[in-house]
Amino acid sequence: MPGLQGITERRVGDVTILKLEGRLVLEESEIPLRDYVNQLVANGRVRIVLDMRNVTRLDSAGIGMLVSKYLTACSKGGSLKLLQPTVHSRYLLEITKLSTVFEIFESEDEAVRSFGVTPV
Amino acid sequence: MAANTASRRRILIVDDDRALRFVLSELLSDAGHTVDQAPDGREALRRLDAGAFDIVLLDIGLPDVSGLDVLAHARAVASPPIVVMMTADDTPETLIAAVRQQAYRYLRKPFAPTAIVEVIDDAIASAPSASLSIEVVSARPEWVELVAPCVLEMADRIQSFVMQLETNLPEPVRESVAQAFREMLTNAIEWGGKLDPQRKVRISCVRAKRLLLYRIADPGEGFNIDKLRHAAISNPVDSPLEHAMVREEQGLRPGGLGLMMTRSLVDELIYNEARNEVVLIKYLD
Repeated sequence: MPGLQGITERRVGDVTILKLEGRLVLEESEIPLRDYVNQLVANGRVRIVLDMRNVTRLDSAGIGMLVSKYLTACSKGGSLKLLQPTVHSRYLLEITKLSTVFEIFESEDEAVRSFGVTPV
Repeated sequence: MAANTASRRRILIVDDDRALRFVLSELLSDAGHTVDQAPDGREALRRLDAGAFDIVLLDIGLPDVSGLDVLAHARAVASPPIVVMMTADDTPETLIAAVRQQAYRYLRKPFAPTAIVEVIDDAIASAPSASLSIEVVSARPEWVELVAPCVLEMADRIQSFVMQLETNLPEPVRESVAQAFREMLTNAIEWGGKLDPQRKVRISCVRAKRLLLYRIADPGEGFNIDKLRHAAISNPVDSPLEHAMVREEQGLRPGGLGLMMTRSLVDELIYNEARNEVVLIKYLD
């Protein structure tokens, strides 16, 4: 299944912003995200923001992948934060009690600042 | 974005709406596919006999031959194409007739151009399993019952049909029910059916005046809820990530949130004793 249709990377200081496009659901589509984040963390880039505004569908496997990569980043001293999840995605994070785990931001500047980095 | 060579397909668009044919044709040609068109049922039958198509986008309300008859013809050719039905007629009877004849998806007009691109992408990706059949056991609009092979692609296909039966629900309710249904169906296919196309999952959708009820029976042995340390429903209140660490230790894919999510999305979630059958209930008032 096609699922996640794109991951676009941008860097602000040592913060990496990954813009996700498409569906993050159980159908192998969460695998590209896993591999991408693993590669970043292996290269020492552990401060990560996932731009979720264009994630059109999210399910338990997709959220599971977010949790897994959050733990990966945290285990190396970094973190993974979420930018602008849709209303439905945010609801799913709430009912799974994960809105208490993930830091969620409405603006990219705020998300970057939360890592102690000044946006450019 | 143009399709790469491997994902280019020959697509037939059958619709008496010239403007829609033009828009879809441009969109799909730009995506790298080879597109052919037919304005009515007779021309569609002629083109289906003349050439092999991978995918057919088919209107049901054609002026001469019914789209359902064209669907039956398309399914009978030597190498049947994947058929996506497009129509403004969203009556359950029409939908069920399309399911019975193994339509791949059902798009209700009007739809966003991106929806058709997504469906085509799905169809291309799931082509190897698109020939697997959904058996219609009961076709009453109030009681639809289906039996389907345990492959993951069936989850999207069945969810798409089942949710088309509920077009009169408020969108947030429909979205919640759809998500809950898909979570439980993928659980049944993945864990109960072990992703084995030889094994079958049975799905009943009952529409009463004041509730929707979905029953999903999988071919597995069930599970013991006390041994679900890898599921978020077993997490201590103050430790929402514990299941994720258990899953990592056990080498399971990330996830384990489906049951917790579903409990919040519907009004009742009831398992049988073995826990290989589940009922989801959503009250409508």
